[in-house]
Amino acid sequence: MQGGQAPRGILRPLTAAALIVVVVLPFVFILLQAIFPEIGAGSFARPFDHLHATLASEDFTRQARNTLLLGVGVVLASSVIAVPLAAIRALYRLPGALIWDLLFLVPFMIPPYIATLGWILSLQPMGYLQQLTGVNLAPFLFSYPGIVFVMALHSFPVIYFAASRSFAAIGSRFSDVSRVFGAGPGRAFWRVTLPLATPALAASLLLVFAMSIEEYGTPAVLGAQFGFEVLVTGIDTSISDWPIDLPKAALLSLALMAISLAAFAMQKRIATARDFDVVGGKTPRAPTRSLGVWRGPALGAFAFVAFLSTGAPLLAILATALSRTLSGGLAVSNMGLQNFEAVLSDRSGALSAMGTSLGLGVIAALLAGLLGIAIAYVTRRGPKPGGGVIEALAMLPNAAPGVVVALGLILLWNQPALPITPYNTLAILVLAYVCILLPQPVRYTVAAFQQVNPSLEAAARVHGASAARTAQRILMPLVAPSVLAAMLLVFTVAARELVASLLIAPVGTDTIGTYIWRQFDQGSVGEGMAVAFLAIVVTTLIPLAILSAIRKFERSASAQQAAF
Amino acid sequence: MKTTLRSGLLALTLSLMGVSAQADVTVYTAGPAGLAKALAVDFTAQSGIKVNLYQATTGKVMARLKAEESNPQADVLISASWDTATSFAKQGLLLPYTSPNAAKVPDFLKTDTAVAQGAAALAIAWNPKSGTPKPEDWSDLAKPAYKSMVTMPDPAQSGSAFELVAALSGAGQDALFGDLASNGALVAGANKAALNPVLQGAKAAVFGAVDYIALGAKAKGEAIDVIFPKSGTVVAPRPMMILKSTKNAEDAKKFIDFVLSEKGQEEVAKTYLMPARTDIKALRPTITELNLLPGDDAVYAKRGAILDSFAKAFGK
Repeated sequence: MQGGQAPRGILRPLTAAALIVVVVLPFVFILLQAIFPEIGAGSFARPFDHLHATLASEDFTRQARNTLLLGVGVVLASSVIAVPLAAIRALYRLPGALIWDLLFLVPFMIPPYIATLGWILSLQPMGYLQQLTGVNLAPFLFSYPGIVFVMALHSFPVIYFAASRSFAAIGSRFSDVSRVFGAGPGRAFWRVTLPLATPALAASLLLVFAMSIEEYGTPAVLGAQFGFEVLVTGIDTSISDWPIDLPKAALLSLALMAISLAAFAMQKRIATARDFDVVGGKTPRAPTRSLGVWRGPALGAFAFVAFLSTGAPLLAILATALSRTLSGGLAVSNMGLQNFEAVLSDRSGALSAMGTSLGLGVIAALLAGLLGIAIAYVTRRGPKPGGGVIEALAMLPNAAPGVVVALGLILLWNQPALPITPYNTLAILVLAYVCILLPQPVRYTVAAFQQVNPSLEAAARVHGASAARTAQRILMPLVAPSVLAAMLLVFTVAARELVASLLIAPVGTDTIGTYIWRQFDQGSVGEGMAVAFLAIVVTTLIPLAILSAIRKFERSASAQQAAF
Repeated sequence: MKTTLRSGLLALTLSLMGVSAQADVTVYTAGPAGLAKALAVDFTAQSGIKVNLYQATTGKVMARLKAEESNPQADVLISASWDTATSFAKQGLLLPYTSPNAAKVPDFLKTDTAVAQGAAALAIAWNPKSGTPKPEDWSDLAKPAYKSMVTMPDPAQSGSAFELVAALSGAGQDALFGDLASNGALVAGANKAALNPVLQGAKAAVFGAVDYIALGAKAKGEAIDVIFPKSGTVVAPRPMMILKSTKNAEDAKKFIDFVLSEKGQEEVAKTYLMPARTDIKALRPTITELNLLPGDDAVYAKRGAILDSFAKAFGK
């Protein structure tokens, strides 16, 4: 059924070619670097020289174990926060539902290294919390639970949005059926809604897992305080401390990729174990069920999570941006706008850095979205063999830390034999961002394709629509919201990307991330935080405008379907 | 904002089309960014030669050079660690050049292939609002008054911190590290990570702070004092080198000449670094006024052993 529907022709080879350039080639060079230590100088001498020493070391075992601990911890903590909130949001009438959605979007706009710095400034001894209340939470912050706490507050929105969207798509329709047959509301949720939402949930859990094990800033800054090393910090150490050891960095990245691919395989098994076509052409109705006496506690939970994830970090960022000096503390006499003035006068290039990053973010989002749709279409509606390979390749960058992707891109595109190269132009940053972030649109789009029942397309074909027209009129409107959401994600993350940009930015170019990092590096924490604050505002407002466009689009799509 | 966005997008399209302006001299440099930019702008204004700048930590600069080995891009390299000059010279990667402007640079800050841009010294950065007594020497920070209030850059991650550890242990002060450890001193991260907790008051002092960053913070009004311990400290000269692979040696030499010119050295001095030239006024104590620990050129050969015994002292 599924196999026969795809338009044959150039889509498949085109997609494969794009994937090879964007993902496969840089990773081939990482692999080469792991095997041949001298590849950077163009030599294949001493293969496998590093393998044993690196993988047999005690450091490696410890870092790999901590990486797993961190990934699992963040996934669990994020789910505990996100799934109950998503269920309430999707299945009950929640006052201010859109406002909560908006507030939960913000943590994702706050670059994790900035949020972490905000938490440190707030919770360390003599931090903002102690200045206000006399207590500090340093022992908690600088511990494994502290790292998990900070990272979960950053990543739970991924699960929240995927789960609430999916719960809403399943709707109360299916669980209503079970209620008719006598199940209580809790039982209906556990036995019907939650299992049906498995593909979307599993995909978002995997995304959080992958994000957590490749996150650099938070484990580096917090973990350094109590000796908690993960693979990514090990990679960064071998890439930036004397003596520079690129082969070791490449090997550690391969280990990280192995972990991530194992998680990916597990997610695939869960997601494809059963059939999950739950989108039957009808768009979900707004939930009508009332929360009853649980209204107060539910609102309290939403407010508490919103404060911790959005309010607290933003306040810390703003307080630091408004402080004349860090040592002056939260005194009125120490507050002023001079950091913002310095930034807006653009003496140090803050505004051009923002312009560059926003532009790069838009281009990366468009390209990644396009490629994501093509990959999802080829793998979900094309012939089975080959599809799995394409999808697995597209997921590969998920597992690689940004710094390693940057390394692969340099090794690849700085070959002297190349007649033309994007290296040392902004195009190399676009390539890096698309490569690093491609798994996002692929995952979202594949999950969306999976939920669209192929009988909808079959019906269109039966009524004489061509394959292209079917894709355009049936498939695209149904998956468009997911694709757009994924593109917004790419935009936000690309606009603030730090780790790859730092290594690979063309000479003379600053992005938001590298600019802020330089400010911190020079001890201008206040100016760095001022730019961070402006960047958060801008990167929140742009997706907001687009999200409201999505809602209009959804409405017109459902109107179209009603007419159909 | 709108115009910035538009110009940003314009620049973006241009360079995406591969029209990036081919710069005349490409400089890879360790921080501070402000200094790198100021030097580049002034040099271009004076000579008409455009400078393409890549500024990051010494580590990231080295990683990029290493990855670019098959097709080197940089002409001039400025590192924050003198060891770069020594090891690159040994590998034969550097172009010998002695700038005429280097005449006023003391001999120990130049070789055939490298010359200092300026130098920093390591110091104690102490927050006077911390409620602790003012420290005068390294060993003071191991006293009970500073229990759990001291932070130190990791010598495994910071070249200058390593040189301090090596010099102190060379001066027979090995025991100090054990004392610091049992006094709850925190060894974490590279240089910049150490200062912020002291500014906010979470810690009282940095053991081995890179002085010019702390002096700059003080000039901005932060409550921070920079104390040069009486038993002596180490300086970290910042070598400038021309890479042998350069296709543009003449302009690279002109850039070095400019950094060593009066104007260039005044820019260096403005960031609270010591200028390399002795005839340029510094805004801070200079090498001749500081008490230095005896140096040993062979420390990098013993790096592993020194780091191991340091790590053991801290129970890592």
